[in-house]
Amino acid sequence: MRIPKLFEGVGTVRTPMAKLFLTCAVALQFALGQDLGTQAWQLKQRGEPNAARELLENAVKLGPNSIGSWKAYAEFLDRHGDTGARKAYETFLSLTNDQQEKQALSRRLVVLDLLAGDNAAAANHLENYRAAGGGTLSLPAIYAKPAMTPGTYIEIPGPLRSFARMAALSPDLSPDELLPALARNVVTNGYQAASSNESLEPTEYLKLINRYLAQARELAKLAGEKKAIQIDQCDSTVTGDVLKVIGYRMRGGCGAEVVLETVNATKAFLTIDSGFPLAELEQSLRANRPFSLSYAPTQIPVLFAAEYWQSAKEKQNQEFIDSFLGDPQLCRLYLGLAKLDRETSERMRKSVSVQRLKAFAHVLDFFGGMFYIENGKAAVPGAPKSEAVWAELVGAPVSTPEKFFENLMSKDDGWLCSYYDALLRIPNQNLRDYLTETARMKRFYAALKGKISSPGPARPVFRANTDLMLLTTRMRMEPTGKPHMPGAVETWRELFLKHPHGKYDGKLTKAAAGWKDVDDVIEAMFALCRKAVENEPLKMFMALSDMNRRRSEPLSKATVDRLVKDYRALSPQYAVINETSALQDSTVNQFVDAIQAINSIRDQGVRADAAGTMQSLAAMWQILVRQNTIPEDKADAALKSMVEPYLKAKSQKDVFEAASGGLRTLLKQTEGSGNMQDRLVDLLTGAAKTTDTETQTAMQQQAIRIFEAQKLVSIEHLLAMADHLEAVGKGAKLDPAIVTRVSSRLTEVQLPRAALSGVEKNALLFGYWTERHIENQRKTNFKSAAEKAGADPAKLADVRGSLLPILRDSMVGLVYAHYAPPGGQIIFTNPLFVRSHDFIGMQGSVATWKTTEVVGTGWPASAGGRLVGSLAGLPYAIAEAEQNFLIPSREQALIWGDLVPQMIQSSKIPRWWNVSPVQMHFAALHLHNADSILAEAALNEEVRKQVGSILIGYAAPARARKVSALLSEGRLTEARENVTPAESYSLSRLYTARNAAYTGAIPDELRRIEREDPASVKLEVLSRAFGTPKPTLTNSYRPELLELRTFPTLMGYSSRILAESWESNLLYYASLADELYMRPSQLNTAIPEWTKLTVEKIFATHLEDWPALLRSLRLVGNDVRQKSKTVAIGGAGN
Amino acid sequence: MRLARKVWIPALAGTLLLGGLLVLAQDASRPVFRVKVDMVVLGFTVQDSKGRYVNGLKPKDFRILEDSIPQKLNTFAEGGKPAMQVMDDGTLKPMAGQTENAAAAGPDTKADAFVGTNVFVLFDTSNYMYRGFVYASDAIADFVRGLDRADSVAVYTFSRNLNRAADLSRDRNGAIFGLRKAVAGDDAALYNCLLLTLRDAAKVPGRKVVIVFSNGPDNASMVAPDDVRAVAEDEGIPIYVISTSEASKDPISSGVFRRLSSKTGGKTYFARSWQKQVEAFENIREDLGNSYAVTYYPQANPNEGFRKITVEVIGDAAKKYRLRYRPGYRPSHGF
Repeated sequence: MRIPKLFEGVGTVRTPMAKLFLTCAVALQFALGQDLGTQAWQLKQRGEPNAARELLENAVKLGPNSIGSWKAYAEFLDRHGDTGARKAYETFLSLTNDQQEKQALSRRLVVLDLLAGDNAAAANHLENYRAAGGGTLSLPAIYAKPAMTPGTYIEIPGPLRSFARMAALSPDLSPDELLPALARNVVTNGYQAASSNESLEPTEYLKLINRYLAQARELAKLAGEKKAIQIDQCDSTVTGDVLKVIGYRMRGGCGAEVVLETVNATKAFLTIDSGFPLAELEQSLRANRPFSLSYAPTQIPVLFAAEYWQSAKEKQNQEFIDSFLGDPQLCRLYLGLAKLDRETSERMRKSVSVQRLKAFAHVLDFFGGMFYIENGKAAVPGAPKSEAVWAELVGAPVSTPEKFFENLMSKDDGWLCSYYDALLRIPNQNLRDYLTETARMKRFYAALKGKISSPGPARPVFRANTDLMLLTTRMRMEPTGKPHMPGAVETWRELFLKHPHGKYDGKLTKAAAGWKDVDDVIEAMFALCRKAVENEPLKMFMALSDMNRRRSEPLSKATVDRLVKDYRALSPQYAVINETSALQDSTVNQFVDAIQAINSIRDQGVRADAAGTMQSLAAMWQILVRQNTIPEDKADAALKSMVEPYLKAKSQKDVFEAASGGLRTLLKQTEGSGNMQDRLVDLLTGAAKTTDTETQTAMQQQAIRIFEAQKLVSIEHLLAMADHLEAVGKGAKLDPAIVTRVSSRLTEVQLPRAALSGVEKNALLFGYWTERHIENQRKTNFKSAAEKAGADPAKLADVRGSLLPILRDSMVGLVYAHYAPPGGQIIFTNPLFVRSHDFIGMQGSVATWKTTEVVGTGWPASAGGRLVGSLAGLPYAIAEAEQNFLIPSREQALIWGDLVPQMIQSSKIPRWWNVSPVQMHFAALHLHNADSILAEAALNEEVRKQVGSILIGYAAPARARKVSALLSEGRLTEARENVTPAESYSLSRLYTARNAAYTGAIPDELRRIEREDPASVKLEVLSRAFGTPKPTLTNSYRPELLELRTFPTLMGYSSRILAESWESNLLYYASLADELYMRPSQLNTAIPEWTKLTVEKIFATHLEDWPALLRSLRLVGNDVRQKSKTVAIGGAGN
Repeated sequence: MRLARKVWIPALAGTLLLGGLLVLAQDASRPVFRVKVDMVVLGFTVQDSKGRYVNGLKPKDFRILEDSIPQKLNTFAEGGKPAMQVMDDGTLKPMAGQTENAAAAGPDTKADAFVGTNVFVLFDTSNYMYRGFVYASDAIADFVRGLDRADSVAVYTFSRNLNRAADLSRDRNGAIFGLRKAVAGDDAALYNCLLLTLRDAAKVPGRKVVIVFSNGPDNASMVAPDDVRAVAEDEGIPIYVISTSEASKDPISSGVFRRLSSKTGGKTYFARSWQKQVEAFENIREDLGNSYAVTYYPQANPNEGFRKITVEVIGDAAKKYRLRYRPGYRPSHGF
């Protein structure tokens, strides 16, 4: 039953009158005997979660002894992750006499207590649980961390903080993570090829660490047995000794005038860079106060034992840290072994000598992370069916895992191991079965390995075989059990035989003539994965598979053939047309035809304008389709009619007509009327129908601010002027005001601000800065041109055409505004940023249809950075351009360039106007549910086993095992810190589906929603709502959740793949918003802002430091919660 | 149409920080973009023909023009002294709420917002400063110690990204503590970070300057130096650059430095080394201590683009005076 209409919405109005109404509503429900839980649910469904909470709050206030009210209230809070849930459950427990209910409540409280870290309360509630007839549940013994015994740790002179600064290690790393992180830095940054011979020499990074260690040892000596640097007074010998070591001297005598100044720059640099408290020392000397600095050595846990890693000679002559830093291969082995779970690494240590392991450390480092032992056997992809073939290939049975892994590492310089790693990462069971079928597995492995196995895939500093991982992760299976084949075998045979883009491989070209089925093509793809050069056929294959992925009818062979042929020139545009699966073959072909027609326009300026306007139209179409403003069934017709006029456009006026017509067509697909500029802004912000006017206005304002900062001309004014000129041609009188409002705006446009004199320009630049596009706009005198044209329709049409460059900029500007992130600076500082978009590219290259690139960075002589290429990669490029304006909140932290643009574009591409409160709540429930499941796993071994087996499908085996170990030790908080939100989502989904007996407020609610509203919480719907765009992985900007393992660091373009495999942010933010009783529409402004804060708080040590990102997410979550509480308290105070 | 129509109405006098609204609201449900005219803060120095600072001038001794339109002064301050309200007859009156010990209070209180100068130090810690890093750090510490007691100081460092090492405060020790925590970085995004510093400085009321300590090269900025200069000009923030002869190895950077500072009312100093910056510090401190700062709400002016500022000293003696100030500004826009 619904709340009487009279009271709808009052919960969101914080006035005494509204509160009175709400109280009346509750009283009325009591009188009517309505179910409060249902009422609250209805309010939530309508997007009024605060009203729902207030309704329940009032209910328990009005009926403090009402079991029903407390039940509804406690469960509501529980489902929102509200910390008040425990207290509400307590009250509920104190009121109920039902033994079964007492039992369930006590158990729930045990879980919530554990999650809150309150073990004492958990123990009490466990007593209650048992007293109410509960089973033999017992709390895990909370293991204290074992004290470090000699041999299990190493010592580094001086404080950890200083060493971490010098070694570029995050101060947030746990002790266990320090040496692996250091090892990684040494491997990747510590050595370089010597210029004189083939040996390696230390880089400046490593030299500085070594110098620091020497300085730290000197200071440690001064610290003496007290392990503290103690200066009692300014005028003492110790002062001089310390200053000498740190490279400073006193200027001025002791007293208020004393100043420390550099005397030895090398030592002083180490002092400052390592964070020695120089300013504090100076203050103490000035005030003649004692100065004391603890200088105890830092103890860092070492894997196995320190003695394992050093030879007898090294043990005698060197400290561990010195031999460690001095041996990159040893560091690599340490890194490799640290990636294994404890059991596997221990067994490897015992059975394989350190020297042998060291010989294959590079293979272990790259591909050993997936090694694990299960039920005494080496885990292999496709087990148990494939165990025999793995044994045959490796030369050892899986039942002897140590031998199996040793052979796997040492075989063919890492090819078999890389194959194993790639196959084990496959999330899709059917694909795994297909690829591990005996004959096929051998065949594909042979293709991958080739005849000459050296150099292996583990030789470079970063993993080179991105393509192999892409192939095995993204290959799509048909219901027939075979991989999907875009086009036909002939398509791929032709590609290899005729090789329009150049020969890929001589042998494959010969073999291609005999290809008969998909296996032949896949074999060729595996064969190409071993090459160091870009695997273009694989990318084509994947791109076209992705384009067919959601289509009811795959693209025809002819279309696929064409797209394959044009791949090199046009591939970035495929992501545009892959925004929807509703495009017909004819539309896809027409899109490509239009591109070719534009390419044939001779005038470079008109060609750039044609490309710019068509790409802007396509980008706007993409946005509207993504936001469902253009429904799926209209998407095809809309794109077709927008693109069609470009097929015949040759001149400026043709292109102007095509562009303006395209805009009108676009608007026709949507509801509404009125000022075109306003409608476009409204449509692109996606808020045409929302009731959340606050968010809507904020987004509109941002778009207008950008449009204004760029001095762009209103599209309404431009098209009104064009229409007016047409009317003049038909006899109307020229209205100078209409012309003046366009031309006066252009007078505000300045030339690019290149900070150069004329001589410098000529000396240093080669026409790069010359912006004919901008200059032409400034030079055009529309008033004079219109007057000269008189009433001649042909001449007036030319004047209309001359509006094209301005229209292009306004259209491009709207797309820029859509993707501009919060905290952006360029777009507000460089008023020509949009106008400078270069659709042609530097001389000698044609960038018109390529992906968007940032150029001109770090070139003070130019007029600032700009974007070059098509608009297809604009969201990423604009994020890349703006990322360095974010300000890290921690000293030494830098913006994580490989990850941040993807994070930013993931916050800007999806919009949440169409996400329902129920969908957001459902996603949040899964994250809360996963927490509960982890807590249950700490209590119950059976649950723990299930959790472990689910997690190992998503997380690296070592981490999945670590979570299980932490849970068994009762370290729930640490266990939760090792599970990402994306993994939590998958864990909750699978565990709840597999365990019907698992019940409670949260799983019951999940099941109820699935039962009552299955369509809105289907996997693909939630994937769309809270997934991220993955243009590199899926060749589409359509957001989705792939539930992948995070990728390792790879070479080349693959840093984007690494970032795209991180899917946790939006799920986490959705959960946070639900917890704060926000509406989904508010995510449109909140998520970009939270993303900015998250980026600013990351302190990562290396590219795969996902825990750093997770920590940052949680910090932002806590800050937002705190701020929300403060606001609430402030509001209540008012 | 909400983008193009803007109507200018005279500013409201009497508000301390924000000027009037220039609005034509059309559709109540849509955001309307407006031209906003904030109070203009203008700092300038007057020197005689021998380069000596001319002190003791009063509001009646100046004429401030914007696009040749005379402006009516709102407040007037000289050196580190508190700002005074300028009355209609040109006499000065202490501002409401001003206390004698205002200089001891925090920098954000309205009463002493115009006492002293807000100095933003921007320290380049990129690879280009590797050799001079510690000496520059010492030099900045000296500079901070030597600032007037009334001045507030913030220390920012940068390489690829900006770091707010010490927030704006009158606490010199805090600033030096922040400075000494600086970490050597990698790439140099000088102009990006200078822009961010200017944005921070712009939020602070009162007089402010940015002092850049850098050897020059920039290999990571997205914004052009002159776009950054335009922001400084519009916000009325002089940029001083302290550099060494190292910068002359990069003629682009040294040229840019000179233009950046001269167009914003600041100066650039190139010493032989970081240890030899005494003269530069002395000059900057003198500049700060001998400058005049006035505020005014601009008179009606239809020009929404660049507004040229002219400062004139009245009287015959003034003909030989050299004045240094920013050439003008662009009014801001907003909702």
